[in-house]
Amino acid sequence: MSSRPKSEKPELTVSEPASGGALVRVDRDKESAAERSKRFERDALQYMNQLYAAALRYTRNPDDAQDLVQDTYAKAYTSFHQFEPGTNLKAWLYRVLTTTFINTYRKDQRRPQTSDNEAEDWQLASAASHTSDQGKSAEDVALENLPDSDIKRALHEIPEEFRIAVYLADVEGFSYKEIAEIVDVPAGTVMSRLHRGRKQLREKLTEYARELGYVKGGKA
Amino acid sequence: MIPFIDNQIEDSAIFNTIAFHLQDCVNCREQLEIERRTITVIRALLTRSCCETAPTTLQEQIAHELHRLELEQLAGFTQTEIIRSYRRTEITIDGETQIEIETSHEIRRDFPPLN
Repeated sequence: MSSRPKSEKPELTVSEPASGGALVRVDRDKESAAERSKRFERDALQYMNQLYAAALRYTRNPDDAQDLVQDTYAKAYTSFHQFEPGTNLKAWLYRVLTTTFINTYRKDQRRPQTSDNEAEDWQLASAASHTSDQGKSAEDVALENLPDSDIKRALHEIPEEFRIAVYLADVEGFSYKEIAEIVDVPAGTVMSRLHRGRKQLREKLTEYARELGYVKGGKA
Repeated sequence: MIPFIDNQIEDSAIFNTIAFHLQDCVNCREQLEIERRTITVIRALLTRSCCETAPTTLQEQIAHELHRLELEQLAGFTQTEIIRSYRRTEITIDGETQIEIETSHEIRRDFPPLN
């Protein structure tokens, strides 16, 4: 991607093809509403499944998830003229999704953003790393035998801000910078939430695996 | 260390410093491997389980709503229709009942601001 000086605002921008094929020049000023509609349908609707899956993680409830995705698409459509063609549409849509979620659907507004036990989390983490050696791979296998429902349950049980960070990084593959923009927090916060979220997730999954008898209490 | 595993270190000088250190330091390498394994397992589990498809009802609703929004844009304004019904019941002393219904019909058109 070539860089342009910030002062220059070209009318013609290059739009990324939705599914291969030649690049199409998009002139946003001359584009009609009907053409923009078509462009939106062609480029944005393909993310519906992914946005729905993300919405399920955010809201933890299929009805709210559907409403959230619907609201997201409505908002995205009406502000689509602001989206710069050729830039990251997926990240843009996720930003709409996440902002809509935070402003409208998030229930427990007063819950503190960060857990008070931050020091504890780090200590637990390092303790776990030191005690595991050969048993680690057997544990990994045990975790892989967990059903989807348990994995989703574990994910839903970790704090929301961690859950969102882990989902965006490890399922959707966004970079720290992209996640920072989507969630509107500094990249350092993303890193911290990601680290703690993954650790808590792994601890919960290990707990489930033990309950199911997949993993013995001591070394495998 | 985590940004290193996630491939998120943009500064090549820092990246190289870490990479060189790892060549020499067994402890750090082991630590790194443990972290890397955790992340790999989590990624595999999550991508495997979190892959729902949007229900057809949702797809239809969205298509419908986008069409509605498109019509609004083409018409140049958004239109909201509000119909209010007021019902007032009066019971007089001698037991007569009087019911009044008042209906208001409001159509609101919001035009987009001029550039």
